[in-house]
Amino acid sequence: MSDLLQLIFSGLSIGAVYALIAVGFVAIFTVSEVINLAQGEFAALAGLVAISAVGSGMPLPVALVVAIATVTVVAVVMERVTVAPVKRLTTLTSIILTLGVSTVLKALMLLIWGPEGKGLTPFPGGDLLVFGVSIRAQELWILGIAAVVAAAVWWFYERTIVGKALRACSEQPIAARLVGISPKLATMLAFGIAGLVGAIAGVIASPVYFSSWDSGLSLGLKGFVAATLGGLVSIRGALLGGVLLGVLESLVAGYVDTGLRDAVAFVLLIVVLVVRPAGVFGRHAEARV
Amino acid sequence: MPRRGDVIGLGLFVVFCVVFPLVAPGSLVNVGVYAMIYAIAATGLSLLMGLAGQVSLGHAAFFAIGAYAQAILVTRYDLYGVLAAVVAVVIAMVVALLVGIPLLRLRGHYLALATLGLGIIVTVLATESEFTGGTSGIYGIGKPEFNSRTYDSPQEFFWLLTPFVVVAVLLARNVVQSRIGRALGAVNDSEVAAETLGVDTFRLRLQVFVLSAAYAAVSGIFFAHWLAVVNPNTANFPLSVKFLLMAVLGGLGTVWGAVIGAFGVEFLDEGMRELIPVLVPGAVGEVQLIGFGVVLVVIVVFLPGGLHQAWRMVLARVRRPSGDVSEGRAEATEDDSPVMVREGRPVAGSVLLEVRGLTKQFGGVTAVDDVTLDVRAGEILALIGPNGAGKTTCFNMVSGVLAPTSGTVKLNGVRTDGRKPHIFAQLRATRTFQNLQVFRSATVLGNVMVGRHLRARSGLLRGMLVLPARAEERAVADAAYEVVRLVGLEGERHRPAGELPFGRQRLMELARALAVEPDLLLLDEPMAGLSSSERRALARLLRRLRAGGMGIVLVEHDVEAVLALADRVAVLDDGRLIALGSPEEIRTDPAVVAAYLGVDEDDTAARAAARELAAQVEET
Amino acid sequence: MGPRNARRLAAGFAVLALGLTACAEDAGGDSTAEDQSGPIKIGAVLDITGAGATLGVPERKTLEMLAKQVTAAGGIGGRAVELVIEDNQSTEDGAAKAVNKLVSQDKVDLIIGASRTGPSLAMRPIAESAKIPMISLAANAKIVDGSQWVFKTAQNDKVVLEDIVDQAVAKGWKSIALIRDSSGFGEGIGEMLTELGAPQGIKVVRTEKFAPDATDFTAQMVNIRNAKADANLIWGIPPAAGLAQKAYKQLGVTGAVIQSHGIGNQAFLDSAGPSADGLTAPLGRLLVADQLTADDPQKKVIEKFVADYKAAYPGESPSTFAGHAYDAFQLAVTALGQVGTDGQKLRDQLEGVKGFAGVSGVFTMSATDHSGLDKHALAIVTVENGAWKLLDANR
Repeated sequence: MSDLLQLIFSGLSIGAVYALIAVGFVAIFTVSEVINLAQGEFAALAGLVAISAVGSGMPLPVALVVAIATVTVVAVVMERVTVAPVKRLTTLTSIILTLGVSTVLKALMLLIWGPEGKGLTPFPGGDLLVFGVSIRAQELWILGIAAVVAAAVWWFYERTIVGKALRACSEQPIAARLVGISPKLATMLAFGIAGLVGAIAGVIASPVYFSSWDSGLSLGLKGFVAATLGGLVSIRGALLGGVLLGVLESLVAGYVDTGLRDAVAFVLLIVVLVVRPAGVFGRHAEARV
Repeated sequence: MPRRGDVIGLGLFVVFCVVFPLVAPGSLVNVGVYAMIYAIAATGLSLLMGLAGQVSLGHAAFFAIGAYAQAILVTRYDLYGVLAAVVAVVIAMVVALLVGIPLLRLRGHYLALATLGLGIIVTVLATESEFTGGTSGIYGIGKPEFNSRTYDSPQEFFWLLTPFVVVAVLLARNVVQSRIGRALGAVNDSEVAAETLGVDTFRLRLQVFVLSAAYAAVSGIFFAHWLAVVNPNTANFPLSVKFLLMAVLGGLGTVWGAVIGAFGVEFLDEGMRELIPVLVPGAVGEVQLIGFGVVLVVIVVFLPGGLHQAWRMVLARVRRPSGDVSEGRAEATEDDSPVMVREGRPVAGSVLLEVRGLTKQFGGVTAVDDVTLDVRAGEILALIGPNGAGKTTCFNMVSGVLAPTSGTVKLNGVRTDGRKPHIFAQLRATRTFQNLQVFRSATVLGNVMVGRHLRARSGLLRGMLVLPARAEERAVADAAYEVVRLVGLEGERHRPAGELPFGRQRLMELARALAVEPDLLLLDEPMAGLSSSERRALARLLRRLRAGGMGIVLVEHDVEAVLALADRVAVLDDGRLIALGSPEEIRTDPAVVAAYLGVDEDDTAARAAARELAAQVEET
Repeated sequence: MGPRNARRLAAGFAVLALGLTACAEDAGGDSTAEDQSGPIKIGAVLDITGAGATLGVPERKTLEMLAKQVTAAGGIGGRAVELVIEDNQSTEDGAAKAVNKLVSQDKVDLIIGASRTGPSLAMRPIAESAKIPMISLAANAKIVDGSQWVFKTAQNDKVVLEDIVDQAVAKGWKSIALIRDSSGFGEGIGEMLTELGAPQGIKVVRTEKFAPDATDFTAQMVNIRNAKADANLIWGIPPAAGLAQKAYKQLGVTGAVIQSHGIGNQAFLDSAGPSADGLTAPLGRLLVADQLTADDPQKKVIEKFVADYKAAYPGESPSTFAGHAYDAFQLAVTALGQVGTDGQKLRDQLEGVKGFAGVSGVFTMSATDHSGLDKHALAIVTVENGAWKLLDANR
């Protein structure tokens, strides 16, 4: 029994990270229909920046703020420089565009930080043993911070004017413009949110899951799968999707074959897309003719 | 059909391939070998992305499947190389078919990420399986040997690859110019219009997907022989990105673009590997990804058509403008004889279209409410009503563009409600659009030729080989020309469709629809934007079509013209059918008048006024 | 495709041709195979970036350092030594491309590389068809099996496992649980261990795998914990091996823990931290040179190497991988000094090496053994308070 709990708990932990990254995908997609293939790189970059910041003498909380702020700025710059100037943003072009940015970020991270994986200093706290389940302090931090961020994001989109305006942009762009919401500003804001959330995911994960120049690929893809479980438009769906994916991965690795861990995400993706494209947790969307 | 430009281009490429290994230093020839190998896969991807409009981030998966299959067959089963290659390509195509059937129903970015997942799954399977040699993979694959000559030096391998690359490009070019290429080009411009002309989008995309997998597999086979080692890294994501970059750099869907892109990327890779350690001491190797990423972004932002677009821009500067392609407008004919008669058409007066209880609800709004009517062969039925009455929604449901919430649609007794538009077209029915769905990337004649899609049969294979399809292609062009002449557009048939004035574009859409040789034609506001003489010419044409036995449903705001033309009129208001009868009956129907003027039926004074108005309308 | 496309092509290829002539290099001179007066060229293909970087970077540093030393000492037989290093980016096709360049363009006399098995396997056929001796720095015996021209300086996995089986016998362990890297490094280990352990009654009771870049080992360790084996063998390289070690302790797995020879560097101690204390591993003597007895044949060689490396790269200590590179270079240079650059003679000379004391062990090659190291090449080492400690000299 404690095995099962152990596996579930460790799945929750990585799942929380996936969930936050998934939120970033949803934030951008709902406003601009862009799939940001650089989302994972936001997380990786945040981890590496934090590590350097700590290494240069900053106290941990300051390093975290620096890392998160840096990546948020990078995300906004990305939008301004690459997404905004494109006149006709089709699916094809947006994928290639964000792929290009993702590649550049990866190469820069490789150049600056080298090929090896590094871990951020773990957040304060000791390890626990609860019902035979070994819990690292960092994992509690991950779950706690992810929960707070999730709540904040939900509150933002549901209860604030700005958040509701962003949602309006995606559903009725012309109407939104007529009431004074600028789609360009909305996209910029969405990227900023995605950068912020992705960066937080990156720094809380780094002590346990390590950051490296190419850790963004796996994180990004799994975050995308999680977002798909919510039909790419539902924040709640993305959060649930991330946690579900993390737990499923852990259980498959533990009970079936550890080698199949990475395949779980993609099998899940293909199954969901074929069976219920609107996502497991999302509403059924009508095509607009 | 080999054209002079093609022959020149081909000749140049062959000359280049012969000369390059002789003059270039050994390491560059080595790079060139990889460029040639990857060029084949990149061509396939360029077809998939440019022609079928589908992004694949897992092209390397089929590359690896081809490579592994070849490696295993040759080393473990001692199969003769060429035979093994054929088997390997077939395996890759079968996998593509199985994978494509569920995946190609997905929208663009889902497909992209699903293919990415496919690449990862292939890697995982290759790693885990003993059969594929696990992580070491298969090694010791021999170099190709023909006529007791082993091709193991870079020069020889380069020459060995040349004919394959040439053939790959030619076949791809043939596909682009074939019936399939035309149909898919139309889909890229307007999927819904192409579907209503009979293009089975899903099936065609699947075919191109499988074809692109075959290309990737051939590429993988050469790779296996060249590298002599195949392992799970062969399917990795960076390689798929590289293929993508090659296709995008050259220009998607432009067939030579992929080859140029392949050379460009490989030399860029090599060049950066030399350059970056000089610029940034201590940095080695994979940082050339910076260059890849930057090139991708720059192309998308500034030059979406890749190098091909740059080339065209250069040409446009250099060339004189080619002058007006119009040949002047045709004289309006005074001919009234029946036109587009078809043998086997249902007898005039028999019911073509049966609509029963057709309803559409969008959330809480009922756009169409329980509409029932028939359309007969050899009649013109007008569908009128105020704005927002649900006329276009009805059209959408009848033609398969939209699925009804409830109700049935039967065409010649066959149910078509909820089925895709190309089924509707296969049953010899088609439509035009209120918001024009012009194929902007084609000429007027090209647009109309898409209408002939169902009247021809050449598939991918015949399209690739060109010769078997030549006669059919000529027939398609001729038939399209006839229809273009019929509507009076033959003077402008070579103009790009997007350049025509709005009204002429409407005519073109009509011609395109007529090219299908339909028995039933749905026209959504065909007269909007036409001058009064053009309206008269159109009305005459419609009468001729009716005389030939076609059934026509007409949505029009020009109520007078419609009442003069139609045999019967159906009136929609607020989604409901409020009147159905002859033009005279409709003209005087108080409900109809009330609908247009918004008057309460119980208001006697208003009714009297409405009647008077109706009388005035009748007089003019 | 119209005439404009043809012109487009023409211009495109013209540009390409111009570009080529611009960067056309002199094809490495016209040195014939028997040129005895120019510099001796040693080519190296290493995993400098990518998955094998922790191996390739110290190897490169070692080779560069040694090449400088040789040149400063006047070269070999009066001829300068030119070292050409290529990065294969830890990929097979990168390795093949690199070795092709070394063979056809640089016309090297000997090849060293690659750092890992996969790329080495890709290089092998090219070296063999060019008839140039190649010394690999990678672990898998497949690299040299049945080969005429390829040698290796890293211990075969088999001898490492022999040491582990010996240890198990000595400690009375009957059951071993294996957690291994899923890449080429860990492949086949379970089978080999079962084969070696069978005559001694030692069984592999559970096998778990992890990806080389894995960071979460919960699933594996939970299953290992349940297997309740006498000893648990973690077979991987850092950082994964270190993180696995951490997870091992964190999840409270019982039983002794053994690591492989892949952990022989500081990166492991860094990633494992305090959890490394108490493990045992068969490792190169490099790490415990100061604890070797004075009469150990390798002591002097190792101490000089360590001192030289620390002097050339202040603040760093060489890893066992650097040691493999040292051995390859020294074997090469010794043979070159003895017979010159003729490929066949070099090969024969290398095959005839006996009792050569290197950093990785004492080499004795033969026609059937191009690895030259047996189980005595490794010492049994443990970790105490974050530092390596010699347990058994294993001579």
